[in-house]
Amino acid sequence: MTRSSRSQFPKGLILLVAFAMIAAACGSSTTDTTAGATPDTTAAAGTPDTTAASSTPDTTAAAAPSGDPIVIGSTLALTGFLAPTAAIHKVAGDLFVKQLNDNGGLLGRQVEWVVLDDESVPDTAASLYERLITEDGVDAIIGPYGTGTITAAMQVAERYGYVMPQHTGSLTYTYGYDCQFPSWPAGRNPNVTNSELLYDALESTGTPPASIAFVINQFPGTMYVAYGQPDTDEGGAVSIAEDRGYNVVLDINYPSNTTDWGPIAAQVRDADPDFLFLGALGVDGPNLIAAMDALDYQVPGMFLQWPAPGPMLGAGDSADGAMSVTAFEPHPPFTDDPGYAAIAQAFSDAATAAGLPYTAFETQASASWAAWQILVAGIEGAGSLDQAAACDYLLNNTIDTVFGPVDFDPEQNNYYGDLSYIKQIQDGDWVVVWPANGAPDGVSVQYSPEG
Amino acid sequence: MTLYGQAIISGVLIGGLYAMMSLGVSLSWGVLKIINLAYFSFILLAGYGSYELAATQGWDPFVTVVAVVPVAVVAGALLQLFFEKVNIGEFESLLVTFGLFIMFESVASSVWSADFRRIPSTANPYASSSLKIGGFAFATPQLSAFITAIVVGLLVKFLLDRTYFGKAVRALAQDREMARAFGVDHRRVAVLLAGLASATAAIAGVFIAMSQALFPGLAVEWFGIVFPVVILGGLGSTLGALGAGVTIGVVAAVASVTWGPSYAPLATFVILIATLLFRPEGLFTRKASV
Repeated sequence: MTRSSRSQFPKGLILLVAFAMIAAACGSSTTDTTAGATPDTTAAAGTPDTTAASSTPDTTAAAAPSGDPIVIGSTLALTGFLAPTAAIHKVAGDLFVKQLNDNGGLLGRQVEWVVLDDESVPDTAASLYERLITEDGVDAIIGPYGTGTITAAMQVAERYGYVMPQHTGSLTYTYGYDCQFPSWPAGRNPNVTNSELLYDALESTGTPPASIAFVINQFPGTMYVAYGQPDTDEGGAVSIAEDRGYNVVLDINYPSNTTDWGPIAAQVRDADPDFLFLGALGVDGPNLIAAMDALDYQVPGMFLQWPAPGPMLGAGDSADGAMSVTAFEPHPPFTDDPGYAAIAQAFSDAATAAGLPYTAFETQASASWAAWQILVAGIEGAGSLDQAAACDYLLNNTIDTVFGPVDFDPEQNNYYGDLSYIKQIQDGDWVVVWPANGAPDGVSVQYSPEG
Repeated sequence: MTLYGQAIISGVLIGGLYAMMSLGVSLSWGVLKIINLAYFSFILLAGYGSYELAATQGWDPFVTVVAVVPVAVVAGALLQLFFEKVNIGEFESLLVTFGLFIMFESVASSVWSADFRRIPSTANPYASSSLKIGGFAFATPQLSAFITAIVVGLLVKFLLDRTYFGKAVRALAQDREMARAFGVDHRRVAVLLAGLASATAAIAGVFIAMSQALFPGLAVEWFGIVFPVVILGGLGSTLGALGAGVTIGVVAAVASVTWGPSYAPLATFVILIATLLFRPEGLFTRKASV
């Protein structure tokens, strides 16, 4: 039996529409951030003098930008598994560019941020950066979100000699490009410094754990922090714990897309550690906590590497006391600078308007902000869009960022030291607890092996 | 032994959730010859619907099923009606429903943003709760999904085996043209079956919202679970989907505690590949499905 020609036409049309839908949805989306989708943040407190470690260039008497816009290109994971956190970087970048333009722009010109969707795929990011540089001819670039996409994009940046500030690359030992500038202040060796910071924090209580269980996401960055650089004796959180006399009672890895947390929870329960080091991403923490709660088991204390902070706050009483690493939190002393207090509020407003459920200006947002500060500083310091001049300026000058003044060290892949802190859920919110200079008055690490 | 026992229980129960997630795809593919990727979106959107009702309106997460399931039934039926109108084939269905899948992901991102959405513990006491029997814990969301999967599986099997509708479905699956010649209204049967399949997807979405965080890109991660379950269980086999889900859950759980969680996906796909090589009709079916 043959199909009638009358049924062929609509089916063909449907196929054509389907192809168009797929092409449109899978194709890169562009966003012109000069449309000002974020709330008005031109309050004076948000644009302080750059002689302090402040937010955006000093433009208190700036003329309106004129001439052709400076186009800054990048990708972000607007879709895919990295999208939840990339959304934070989108809001931060939109806000930064808006404030920059509201305060005179860059080199007297308005800035336009072109964002393409790399769909959380490194290969896609690389090809899009290639397009941004060679076809779109962007004046500058800024890095994407996520270790894989950053690593891929960096190859393209190096090929064309573009300065590339990047905020979230975790494989620090691989970033040998001279003109990549990391903004995440974890230093060149987070496998060592992150771990030492945590153990110092635990030991500051006077009642550190005797035993630690390690449950590590197989994501390369979390594996690096836990075990160190492959094929070296550098070590990571696990070996440093052993060196410091902790008893490692469990050491397992899990795939990033784990759906059944029951067996993992059962293994942790059976190991019965005094402390759990969870090399976590995203919502691994709440998932494991729920699975352990179902077994009526709670660890006395836990550390999560890079969790989504919002879901942890909604994970119930068992999440109280959970720790993580941070570089900025929207509370004193970080917000003692009125400029950054205003930025934190502006970001919160913008994130709320964007529909994000967690709106705090914390590590991810501040790392993004710092990356933009680095890019702007390089271009302004060079006085032009010449990439080599901008790179040279950044390498030879102290740059003011939200994390303080930084000096990029080429011997350390341009990392400038570990400026991280330990934060902890106390009274239903995240607060910095260690080192003490980052903690609000009266706040300290709360931990006991008895729970 | 306690560790293995608890792990096996966890694997069995999550197998029920896997079965609920897979039932719609299995029925659609096995009976209607439509590989409907939009069911993954139905699961996700039902999850978001449950999240919205529970987190913002204070509904009990279980009760949200009475709201999301009817919506899913109507949506699934309308989609199938559309497929019937344009006489879509197996390959075309994959393409079109993939386009819908991408579209629905964008819709979810627009409405709920790309960030994680999780029913807070204050609105969802079930996420951390469990039934304790003999020293073993049966996590509430997974236990509920498992029991529901059994009930739904048996109901659907009864429907397919003992009712005129079921006879019509089986006839269409075996020989569509001959069934039509004997007076079976293919379109009506297909629309009803699609509605039923969508209902199972929506129920799965409610259980997922109860047990984990949602984000728009989550649905694509289920491909690696659902398709092995569908293939192992046999296309169109409801109890086969349950058997396959439990098999995958248990194999992964045992691998997790024996060699480490990183070996769980390997164990699952070894089973899948072996099945495709030696018993491609599925582990739980005879040569003819449904």
